[in-house]
Amino acid sequence: MSVQANAPRLSSQERARRRYLTDRAIVNLFIWPTLILLIAINLFPLFYSLYLGFTDYSAIARQVPVWVGFKNFSDILNDQQMWKYFATTGKYALASVGLQTLLGFALAMLVREKFRGSGLLTTLILIPMMISPVVVGLFWKLMYNPTFGFFNYLLGFTNPSTGPDMLASRFAGKVVPNLALWAVVLVDVWMWSPFVMLLVLSGLKAIPDYLYEAAAIDRASSWFQFWRITLPQVAPLLLIAVLFRTIEAFKAFDLVMGMTGGGPGDQTELIAVNLYRQAFLGQWRTGRASALAYIVLIIIIAVSNLYIRYLNKMRGES
Amino acid sequence: MATFYETGPGYPVTESIRVDRVSPTARRIHAVRAFVVLVFAIITLIPVFVMGITAFKSRADVVSVPPKIIFKPTLEGFVFLFTERAVVSKVRLPEFQKKAEAGELSLFERIALNTGQEITGPSDYVDRLKNSLIIAGISTILSVGLGLFAAYAFSRFPIGGKDDLLFFILSTRMLPPVVVTIPLFLMYRQLGLHDSHLGMILLYTVFNLSLSVWLLKGFIDEIPIEYEEAALVDGYTRFQAFYKIVLPQAVTGIAATTVFCLIFAWNEYAFALMLTSDDARTAPPSIATMLGRGGIEWSAIAAGSLGFLIPVVIVTFALRNYLLRGVTFGAIRR
Amino acid sequence: MATIELQKVEKRFGDFQAVKPMDLTIHDGEFVVLLGPSGCGKTTTLRMISGLEAVTSGTILLDGRNVTWLHPSERDIAFVFQLYALYPHISVRDNIAFPLRAQGESKETIEKRVKEVVDLLQIGHLLDARPGKLSGGDQQRVALARALVRRPAAFLMDEPLGALDADFRESMRAEIKQLHIDQHATTVYVTHDQVEAMAMGDRIVVMSDAEIQQIGTPSEVYYKPANVFVARFIGSPGMNLARGHYSEGRVRLKGQNNVYAVPDDWQQALGKALGGSGDVLVGFRPEAARISADGPIAGEVYATELQGAYVMLYININEDEIIHIRAERIHQHQIGDTVRFDIDPRMVRFFDPASERAITREAAQ
Repeated sequence: MSVQANAPRLSSQERARRRYLTDRAIVNLFIWPTLILLIAINLFPLFYSLYLGFTDYSAIARQVPVWVGFKNFSDILNDQQMWKYFATTGKYALASVGLQTLLGFALAMLVREKFRGSGLLTTLILIPMMISPVVVGLFWKLMYNPTFGFFNYLLGFTNPSTGPDMLASRFAGKVVPNLALWAVVLVDVWMWSPFVMLLVLSGLKAIPDYLYEAAAIDRASSWFQFWRITLPQVAPLLLIAVLFRTIEAFKAFDLVMGMTGGGPGDQTELIAVNLYRQAFLGQWRTGRASALAYIVLIIIIAVSNLYIRYLNKMRGES
Repeated sequence: MATFYETGPGYPVTESIRVDRVSPTARRIHAVRAFVVLVFAIITLIPVFVMGITAFKSRADVVSVPPKIIFKPTLEGFVFLFTERAVVSKVRLPEFQKKAEAGELSLFERIALNTGQEITGPSDYVDRLKNSLIIAGISTILSVGLGLFAAYAFSRFPIGGKDDLLFFILSTRMLPPVVVTIPLFLMYRQLGLHDSHLGMILLYTVFNLSLSVWLLKGFIDEIPIEYEEAALVDGYTRFQAFYKIVLPQAVTGIAATTVFCLIFAWNEYAFALMLTSDDARTAPPSIATMLGRGGIEWSAIAAGSLGFLIPVVIVTFALRNYLLRGVTFGAIRR
Repeated sequence: MATIELQKVEKRFGDFQAVKPMDLTIHDGEFVVLLGPSGCGKTTTLRMISGLEAVTSGTILLDGRNVTWLHPSERDIAFVFQLYALYPHISVRDNIAFPLRAQGESKETIEKRVKEVVDLLQIGHLLDARPGKLSGGDQQRVALARALVRRPAAFLMDEPLGALDADFRESMRAEIKQLHIDQHATTVYVTHDQVEAMAMGDRIVVMSDAEIQQIGTPSEVYYKPANVFVARFIGSPGMNLARGHYSEGRVRLKGQNNVYAVPDDWQQALGKALGGSGDVLVGFRPEAARISADGPIAGEVYATELQGAYVMLYININEDEIIHIRAERIHQHQIGDTVRFDIDPRMVRFFDPASERAITREAAQ
């Protein structure tokens, strides 16, 4: 065999030594570039921004950071406005993640059994989540346009003065609170339900057929099978999907920026959007923004931990 | 009337299927299910379709009420997207008209005549697109290359605190971009990397490393270790075993990872918005800012978005079997 | 309890014929084993009886009732799967109670019936565990309990011991057989293991190439194989089939100068069945060969295998024709030695090489 013919001849000791050394060297050589880059561009900034969170500092002012202790944190937590943004983000997360989960689950149940063209349709449904969120935001802005957008037109509101103006939170000229937020939720659901579908589908496909065969023999109704077999079996994957989406909801930025920029007023001012505004617009409140960023980070970690704990509990049981 | 239970489906069943699944009721439910999915897919694709047709609409058609589905397609949107224009001076209008009557009008001249604007040069967008290509391209090569090495090491060697390291690598992707952007902004300003290609390439490389390490580790884990052991026994060094045995077998995984990294870098908006202003600005933030300039050029925006959409659609089809891994960082496999 | 009747039952997967039209009657209380190599259609047959697989054509009767198109749950049968198919996320107790709960039985009934089967199978100590934590044998006991608790009219078992270790398999084999003797429930059992089939079946249905080769008791399929396939498939090693030429009461075996005198009671049948050509296969089990210095058949020892109480000799009686014969351990046979042997006249069988069917004395009369 050519492999053997080409192999260099080494004594076994020499070979062992060389392999041992190269193994170690290779691990270092292979891992460190990645770790160094991650430390430089992720870990260092993370600590730097923790430090900045305790300072009064503006990146555009020619002035060094001034240590102010917990002032930024207490300012943020005492700011009614900030609580409103948190509440908006919570509402947004709850609505969009909830709807995505329902829709994604339903879709997965529908496409789990193959039919003619099901592969193609499933792939088509997956397209939205691959598009740049900011582009999605932009073209939904066009969709939502009250005069020439397709959204109102397809819903049957042909006259702009009697139809909704989603992104302005108005319906037939009257103010409808939160309509813009719902518009954003709708787009998020459009974009990410396929993600939940994809995860649930992979969970469903992992359920062995024989469980359903056993259930059929055991005279279980479809309803009984759904609650006793399907749901418990896909629950871990469903929970992972929900976790991923909840984290993303707290990071939501691109989509909203493309669509509303936080408006009208501050109705769609999600926490990530406000963070950007504080850090890079107006007064460039770098210190305060860093503190806010950390609060968001802590929330994300807390939420993830809750989910993961629940997930582990569920896995431990089965 | 005879029921299904007495007569069966009335045709020979030649597939592997349970008895109750060939009953008329089951068939009907199956058909309904397919129909519902079809309807959902159509609804999902409406915005994509709208984007597609808007890119080929003329200015007047974009804002027509009610919106038109049938219209005369033009390339105006693309021309607007890629060119800088100025108002045609009144002196030159008759010249164009004369040409038009003679039927010698070129595509650009016709647009100039119709819109009253004349092309004066390529638009910023061309530069932005170039930036996008350079930054996404180079960072993808780097992140897949580095990721491949790290993934191999993680997959094949005992490394102290391996799980923690891997979790650290994954967690970097969970941070809200704004958390790291503020210090990065300061750091980059200090180092002169702000609004530079190098800065963005580094950033995107790191941004994609977590994805590429996790994805590639999953792919390499699936290659049986016995092949390499056989090679080692035959006297190959580790490194030779890596590039002669592992690399060829990981090719599909590498290809899928490359495309995922490319898509993420190509689509990225938040970092680009905050860390670039002009020289290194990529296409996504610049499509967004197009809204602001002198009235909304919807067809130009649509054209720009469509340009972004087409590669994504192609990729979605090409990668449909890997999509799950890609969007979950390889943490979940089918 | 129930009688299962298959009438012209057939299954095709596309163009592939998985089960050719088949007739089979399984009597009330009988333990019938479907035996055959993998891909012979035995599992498909079992799944058609259960309704997990729809038939392409034909009729399935359970106690005379046409169940061909009934849902599996309406057939009053229980199915034991090779991989147990226990519900992984619920306890053993809930697994056993599952079919009763699904039928909406009362709590007291469920408790009582679960206790009955648990006592019967002696798995009381497993009740609170999850199936994943149990050994393969225990999982299969739980699966049996889940099947028994329903008190179905018939049990269908699809290689229930196939995933178990060899020593476990033997004890479980005895357990299942004992269970059948106790319950006396109609049982259809699929396996590819002929030892299992011989040990357990009241009757064995040997299948190959999508059709039934022979139906008979274990001793019938062993001693009176209906054709060459069954002769070779049953027994390990299978029946020896030596090629030869028959004329006037003798079979001249291929190759060496071996002439075998056919027992008198077979001569008429052979003469009638073989007609002109006279080509024949002489079949005998390894234990039917009797080594003696004046035996009519000679061959060279090719290999020997010590199998505990006896030695299995591989004898080359022709260039490429190796047969197995059983020898006492005390005889020392070296490789290359010539061995002569005779065949027990009560245990010799003959096959027609053209049709591959057994030649029977009954047919000649």
